Amino acid sequence: MMMTKSTKVTLVFGTLLLTAGLAISSFWLRALPQDLTIRFHPYVGDKPLVLNSQSYKNPGGDGEFSIRDFQLFISNIALEFSKKTINEAESYHLVRFDGDSTFDQFVIPNIKIQNLRKLSFGIGIDPKANGAILFSGDLDPNSRMAWNWQVGYKFLLLEGTLTLRESQLPLVYHIGFDESYTKLNFDIAPEINAKNGVINFKIDLRRLFQKSSKVAKSSIRLKSNEDIEYIDMSEMSHVKFSPVDVKAIAIGFHDFISIL
Amino acid sequence: MKIATIVVAIAVLFIASTIYTQQNKKLDTHLVEFTAPFVFGRFNLPENNPLTQESVLLGRRLFYDPILSSNNQVSCATCHKQALAFTDGLKTSVGISGNPLAFNSMSLVNLMWGPRHFFWDGRVSSLEEQAIHPIAHVDEMARNIEELIVDLNNDETYKKLFKQAFGNISEQNIAKALANFQRTLISANSRYDQYLRGEISLTAKEEQGRKLFMAHPDTKVVLRGGNCIDCHSQFLTSGFGTAFDGFSNNGLDDDQTLQPGLFTLTNNEMHRGLFKAPTLRNIAVTSPYMHDGRFATLQEVLAHYNGGIKRSKTLSPLIIEADNIAKTQSDHISLNLNDNEITAIIAFLHTLTDEKFLANRAFSSPFMAENNDDD
Repeated sequence: MMMTKSTKVTLVFGTLLLTAGLAISSFWLRALPQDLTIRFHPYVGDKPLVLNSQSYKNPGGDGEFSIRDFQLFISNIALEFSKKTINEAESYHLVRFDGDSTFDQFVIPNIKIQNLRKLSFGIGIDPKANGAILFSGDLDPNSRMAWNWQVGYKFLLLEGTLTLRESQLPLVYHIGFDESYTKLNFDIAPEINAKNGVINFKIDLRRLFQKSSKVAKSSIRLKSNEDIEYIDMSEMSHVKFSPVDVKAIAIGFHDFISIL
Repeated sequence: MKIATIVVAIAVLFIASTIYTQQNKKLDTHLVEFTAPFVFGRFNLPENNPLTQESVLLGRRLFYDPILSSNNQVSCATCHKQALAFTDGLKTSVGISGNPLAFNSMSLVNLMWGPRHFFWDGRVSSLEEQAIHPIAHVDEMARNIEELIVDLNNDETYKKLFKQAFGNISEQNIAKALANFQRTLISANSRYDQYLRGEISLTAKEEQGRKLFMAHPDTKVVLRGGNCIDCHSQFLTSGFGTAFDGFSNNGLDDDQTLQPGLFTLTNNEMHRGLFKAPTLRNIAVTSPYMHDGRFATLQEVLAHYNGGIKRSKTLSPLIIEADNIAKTQSDHISLNLNDNEITAIIAFLHTLTDEKFLANRAFSSPFMAENNDDD
């Protein structure tokens, strides 16, 4: 069958139009900024953290613990794209898990998520802000996370109870100090970008109780969880100002948060 | 003919609407100018109730006027006396019925900062909402709001003040005016404030107390602490503003006698027995203490934290854990402060008294001022 001249023209023109349309729409889609949601899901090992009602095994000893309050600061978010890096302004987010939801999140508006390559943030407050009386982002010197202006902020607050046979031991971990501030970097794979603009992170409380010696041995991630030795909570039930103890917990910040 | 009718109709409508607008036009209002220490941080104001001079003027009059009560004898100031930092010196307040209320009168100070939940059990989330409760409460003022609005409409002074502030008299506007007057009750000139501004030094004893106030004890690093900072923020000295962080079970009762507290609002069992951590500003003049006024003196309060704590299932782990001697037994909870440290903390608490605030004429009864003017 022979095509008439007019059919040919229509076909060519139609193809051109379609191609142009696709090109424009893909460009449009790629360039369209949207809200980036950074979402945190708290866990104890493989189990989701449920405050108060759920008990978990003491990672390095006998007994079971429950958590009553868990809050931490995520700060200085940097988004790295192929050509540039964006640093969020007033980037101090208090992440807490006492709401009705199983996760906590914050949103960074107007981001070209498709172009995002890397994301980094700090656990805690950078030394400059930690040593100042600043009202920026979620920083509030009159908040529960502030000690006093001479000491700075608690980067992480974890409070609960360890039940050991008949006795109950209060658990108080208030982890601060400039030395504990930990920067984490994440590669953002294209398939992560596709999830409706949400990047899901797992926060694993057990990581705080890894024995520091094991972690410090090498920068290579341990392959099996069974290889890790854990702190017995009954032997370190409260950590506040003892630099050695603070370090023992804060070293876990390096492996504390991972992409889900 | 038709056109003329339309023109006339438009003209009539225009004139009528102009008259209506003019009559109902709210008069110009002026925002209150105030200063507060930088360290107090961001303040909270509702968008629908700008802090105007006109609303504050009205709110001050309402606050001191017994017209708010059904027998015309009880005003807000009956239980909130300026000289006592807007408390009443009673264990629990007594209103129109003569029956003691469930709670101790709360000090009214620096209300734009700190927790956004009011009353000891946090049952309302705005000052506007709070203001109406005592007026309607059968034991407090027992006033029918509709009747109150009628009475206010029959009072030329109130008619004028409401018109200037809001345009008309309504329950909502009564609440807004009372809330705004209370927002102006800023105390920021205590010796502690002067110290923070670098104007004075504290005495050695007060400074020792300040350090203890600001520290959670840690025997591992020989840090002694009074643990006050765990519930009372460093500058405001109130409970914390975020979510329910400003509420705590501070060990007043055991499980058998634990009162509902914040549970009243949230229905969350973990909130049973949690009460609002109050501001400690002017604390030396606001005895007796705690939500039920059970402690008559600051010495009794310190004695409570130093060995009087009762265990219950929602007791703060921070209170159980805070100890100035390494734990030898876990069943007795005490800060284990020595007498010298206790007197130091009390000395520091006295630096929170703001004499200028307690005597500031802008906060006093406008009726007294009117009478004085007549002299």
